[in-house]
Amino acid sequence: MPAAKIAPSKTAGSSQSPLLSLWKAYYESTSTRLKTIDAFLVFLMLSGIIQFLYCVLITNFPFNAFLAGFASCVGQFVLAASLRAQVNPANRSEFKDVSPERAFADFALGSIVLHFFVYNFLG
Amino acid sequence: MVGPLSWLLASLAVLAVQASVLTLQSPRLTVSSSDAAQLRSEPLSLAHKVTPPVELRATDTLKLTFQIVDEDGKGVQPHQTFVRFYDEVTGEEGIQPVKVTAGGKAKLELNMARPPSSLPPSGKDPIKVSLYLGSFKHDPAQYELFDLFVPPSQPPAQHADEVFFHPRPEIFHTFRPEQKVPPKFVSAVFTLLLAAPWVVLLGLLAHIGPQVPYLFSSGIFPFIATLGAFEGLLVWYWVDLHLGQVLLYGAILSIPTAIAGKRALAAVGERRLGKSSPK
Repeated sequence: MPAAKIAPSKTAGSSQSPLLSLWKAYYESTSTRLKTIDAFLVFLMLSGIIQFLYCVLITNFPFNAFLAGFASCVGQFVLAASLRAQVNPANRSEFKDVSPERAFADFALGSIVLHFFVYNFLG
Repeated sequence: MVGPLSWLLASLAVLAVQASVLTLQSPRLTVSSSDAAQLRSEPLSLAHKVTPPVELRATDTLKLTFQIVDEDGKGVQPHQTFVRFYDEVTGEEGIQPVKVTAGGKAKLELNMARPPSSLPPSGKDPIKVSLYLGSFKHDPAQYELFDLFVPPSQPPAQHADEVFFHPRPEIFHTFRPEQKVPPKFVSAVFTLLLAAPWVVLLGLLAHIGPQVPYLFSSGIFPFIATLGAFEGLLVWYWVDLHLGQVLLYGAILSIPTAIAGKRALAAVGERRLGKSSPK
């Protein structure tokens, strides 16, 4: 999500800590759509971390289930991150040929294929 | 054809008449030690074996001399002359050819310091020594000469593959213990932990409050519905379907999805451009 924290639009006051000013800039300058995707990304990251912790700390017993769950988190994160990169107006110049609608269609198709494989693994 | 055959039979009959017994004249055995001292020297009898049996120590030498004669007392050189060493208990045997002079005289020397390769492996039991004579003109003859005790030989070297000719020890496979699911409590805790990201997601969405005003419009909703149908199909695949079925249904479902998606995204794009163009 590095793109989420693009340069703040205005200079923060010197009394604020840099992290706080960074958060404030993100909060104020990011559109609602991107924030929605960011929320989804955070959700995927947390899910993946918890599943990974479970595998490391407790057991990997139904290993195929772990693979399916973890891979779905990672794969969906990648797909959502690329969607976010392509629909971000700030990256307009980089994706001239890719309209946001086209990016969403790619996202939907990639997600369906990913979910097909995930369910295949789930056992 | 009859002529040569009958001639052959006739000649065989003549041979049979001529065939006679070979015998030994003055057979004698001598045992001497390594320092040439004679330990034993006696004539052999063909009728019965010598007693006590001949015993050789590790360095002794056995000498056997005889002359092969026919019943007229004339020396004969048979075509084949063999001495056979035979261990009745182990079944081991060895054949030693004997050189016979034209006058029928023969000499066999058995030096235990350098035993011939024809001497079979020996154990505690005596080796029976016998003489075989074979001749075209005489009846074959076999004479049991004597029993022979020799020092036991080394056990034969084991062949490298010997072990494969015997039953091998049984193989017991050890398997990894069956994996177990963790206790219910641990599973429940982590299930609750996995609910936490959902709480975060719902909280964030509620805070951000994304607006989807056209979600249920006639242009958008079919696309959303077909996407949902795809997810439903995949869940169904997980629960019940086979791979072939899900591929078939997915292929069928992909057509309306593609059409609906094209329409929906075209509508969205128009709205976006229409909104942005006056700007």
